[in-house]
Amino acid sequence: MNELIQFIFSMRFFYALAALLAGVAAMFSLTLQMQMFQQNSYFPKRYLPWLKENEKRKIVFRAIVFLLYAVFIINKGITVITVALAVYMVFSIIKSARVQKNSIIPLKFTARVKRMYFVFGILLALLTLLQFFLLKDVSYLFLSVNVVFCVFPYLCVFLLCVLLYPVEKSIGKWYVKDAKKILDSYNGRLKVIGVTGSFGKTGTKMILTAMLKEKYNVLTTPKNFNTTMGVVRTVREYLKPQTEIFVCEMGAKKTGDIKELCDLVNPDTALITTVGPQHLDTFLSIDNVFSTKFELYDSVKLRNGKAFVCGDSEEIKNRIGDKEVVLYGTNSSYDYYADNISFSAGGVTFDLHLLGETVQITTKLLGSHNVLNIVGSAAVAHSYGVSPESIKFAVSRLTAPEHRLEIKRYANGSTLIDDAYNSNPVGCLEACRVLSRFSPMKRVLITPGLVELGDEEYKHNFKLGQVASECADFIILVGIERSRPLKEGIMSKGYDEDKLFVAASFKEAYEKYITMADSNTVVLIENDLPDNYLK
Amino acid sequence: MKINLAVFFGCRSVEHEVSIISAVQAMASMDREKYNILPVYVTKDGESFTGELLFDIENYKDIPALLKKCKPVTFLRKGGKVIMSGLSTKVFSKAKEIPVDVAFPIVHGTNCEDGTMQGFFEFLDLPYVGCDILSSAVGMDKAVFKDVLKRFNLPVLECVTFYAREYAQDKDKIVEEVIEKIGLPAIVKPINLGSSVDISKANDKNALLDAIDLAVSFADKVLVERAVVGLREINCSVLGDSDECIASVCEEPFMTDEILSYEDKYTQGSKKTGASKGMASLSRKIPAELSEERTEQIRELACKIFKALGCAGVVRIDFIIDTQTDTVYANEINTIPGSLSFYLWEPTGVPYKELLDRMISLAFRRQRKKEELTFTIDTNILAGVKLSGTKGSKGSKI
Repeated sequence: MNELIQFIFSMRFFYALAALLAGVAAMFSLTLQMQMFQQNSYFPKRYLPWLKENEKRKIVFRAIVFLLYAVFIINKGITVITVALAVYMVFSIIKSARVQKNSIIPLKFTARVKRMYFVFGILLALLTLLQFFLLKDVSYLFLSVNVVFCVFPYLCVFLLCVLLYPVEKSIGKWYVKDAKKILDSYNGRLKVIGVTGSFGKTGTKMILTAMLKEKYNVLTTPKNFNTTMGVVRTVREYLKPQTEIFVCEMGAKKTGDIKELCDLVNPDTALITTVGPQHLDTFLSIDNVFSTKFELYDSVKLRNGKAFVCGDSEEIKNRIGDKEVVLYGTNSSYDYYADNISFSAGGVTFDLHLLGETVQITTKLLGSHNVLNIVGSAAVAHSYGVSPESIKFAVSRLTAPEHRLEIKRYANGSTLIDDAYNSNPVGCLEACRVLSRFSPMKRVLITPGLVELGDEEYKHNFKLGQVASECADFIILVGIERSRPLKEGIMSKGYDEDKLFVAASFKEAYEKYITMADSNTVVLIENDLPDNYLK
Repeated sequence: MKINLAVFFGCRSVEHEVSIISAVQAMASMDREKYNILPVYVTKDGESFTGELLFDIENYKDIPALLKKCKPVTFLRKGGKVIMSGLSTKVFSKAKEIPVDVAFPIVHGTNCEDGTMQGFFEFLDLPYVGCDILSSAVGMDKAVFKDVLKRFNLPVLECVTFYAREYAQDKDKIVEEVIEKIGLPAIVKPINLGSSVDISKANDKNALLDAIDLAVSFADKVLVERAVVGLREINCSVLGDSDECIASVCEEPFMTDEILSYEDKYTQGSKKTGASKGMASLSRKIPAELSEERTEQIRELACKIFKALGCAGVVRIDFIIDTQTDTVYANEINTIPGSLSFYLWEPTGVPYKELLDRMISLAFRRQRKKEELTFTIDTNILAGVKLSGTKGSKGSKI
């Protein structure tokens, strides 16, 4: 008994308590990193760049403080630092808890996260005990791994990753096997359509699904689930016994990715939208991108399936050789093509030719890529027996995502293209080109230009101005100072200054617009929310 | 991966036995490669049972004995699915519950065919075969059915309707009104019973009183319409949904009495060829002997009625031809016809197995359309709001 009381009042016990507090704090400070690791899809390769970008300064700062602290400990400056350390630990616990509460996407305690915490807990306990009994001078507990883990939770993430790698790998394998078993149980009653391409596969997938739903029970990989694990999840969680067609988006970041997906789902039909310079850091060449995308073609051909390929893509056409494909696009020599494309207040209208049958299509989806996405989807749907009339109906119901080239009509009869959420330079130029297609309507552009592009900002705005000058009959810029680079871009093309108006605020821009708007006017609102002003 | 298909039949209805015959017949024709059939027999008490023995019509001769060997079940939503769950712990050998992908009601008459069962499926958000709540309910009420058709300018016989209580209060007034507006002879029908149960014809005033007396004992609401002299009855089935539908060949049922009685429809066959033939064995002429134009007119009318009511799956629409004036009238609709009208579809070129398959596909199609149009807001609006306490705070803070 005396021994116990003695122990409780000994420094040794005090140190043990401190180590325990550090352990708890380490658990808590791990949550934020775990959250980020989860949001980077549990990929250390993605998590590391995130750390570099967001936490670099913090890590360096912590390292310096920690070094100073270590020197203190070694020189026995214990009492001073103990209080500071305890305060820091408690503070980090509170902070972690608060961050979780206020996060937009808090950490989800999935089975995987629980596994990581479980292993972390055991690891901490073992290491603490080990140190407690092995260290002769227990004051060194203040330098224990617990403290290190608490100050550098990043390390824990990588450590746990390595420790759990074999477990996660075999669990992943089991899931893939299970998904394959489910797919096999349909005995060929389930048709699989693989959709791939460097751009536009998500949009195409949605359009194709809408068309096929006219006739079939369809399952589509949700959001941008396009990796093996994403497809496995879709199959295991969403596939129903009545599903007749599975539309599977297939993404690739390196050679072999598509083949891996094909080996899982055994696609019956292929839809390849484009081949372009994407992920060149891993693919190295467009040839590699092409051959990876065409792994889908190879797989489909094993089952004598059809492969629908966009003929408008130069990258594809130049490499196609003697591959047996069904071409679609805007060329009348293809089996499936669109022509007579025109833009109006109702959206884009064109004639869709399906193996000789023709149907006029009108869609609210603007942008030239969407015409191709519709033709490609229609080709596949038609080959599955969906009638041209049903295809037309399905397309007429498609709507653009909110504030993304969304076409609306205002009370005064003018047409609005709401592209408020678009803030990337390429997208803005595309939006301007869409506006230009609305000729002979009076085309008006309202924009404050691009922001938050750092050193590139002037260049991009100047370029946007140049393109805008060719696409709009009247331009209203928002923000006198802010829009200067845009104005310079516009004027560099010799644009008529009478057709340019610089407004101080969006409200003023709108008031100016109202004076010139009629039913024959179309206005593109680029990169600014119109809702607060235009009602 | 088979589709778990729950076939509902029986129910608290005067056509309980007819439903058993129709359902057993249908289950025997379903594609077992594609569907895992779960028979759900609803007793006259409204209790639900399942079990392998329910597939054989012979077992229904002694229902209490049959039920002892079956398991009581209930249906509920759990984890984003509808499941059939055993009421006792030892229902299924391995699992206590089994997911249901689609329901196939093969029920006739009130408390089931009239939208009741359809409402149950809607509540569970379970895809189901056949007409939805509204078309089922309209189809069951012969008076409302006529009102809807009139609104679409589709031909129906004029009628008078009244409630049993109104009749009890002043029989003479009602009878006079009938004679004045409709004339004699007249047909008296209890509203909301299908299958011609207790429909009678009255040639004079006394017979009219008797007929109405009989009718009010079956229903709260009664319909009287002109009895067509020189009548031909022609039936036509329709398959599809509001987007697309096709009509079957027409049939002319053979009548022993002046109107097709319950005896004719369901028991006559049993005397001759055994109980399980049901509607299919009734004496009838298929296709009906009609001119090509008349046939087309009836088939076209049938499709129009189908769409006017917003039907789905298979229905049978019964027409009357007044041979004296050579006019066609729509008489009534069966939203779940006896034997699912398969005997009209086989000569149309749709085998029973395929008919059933198409009906089930249509159930999934309606579910798809529903999912596209309806959506719930995923976030809980109440979650972000500080609710003022129930004790009555001073000014709520939101």
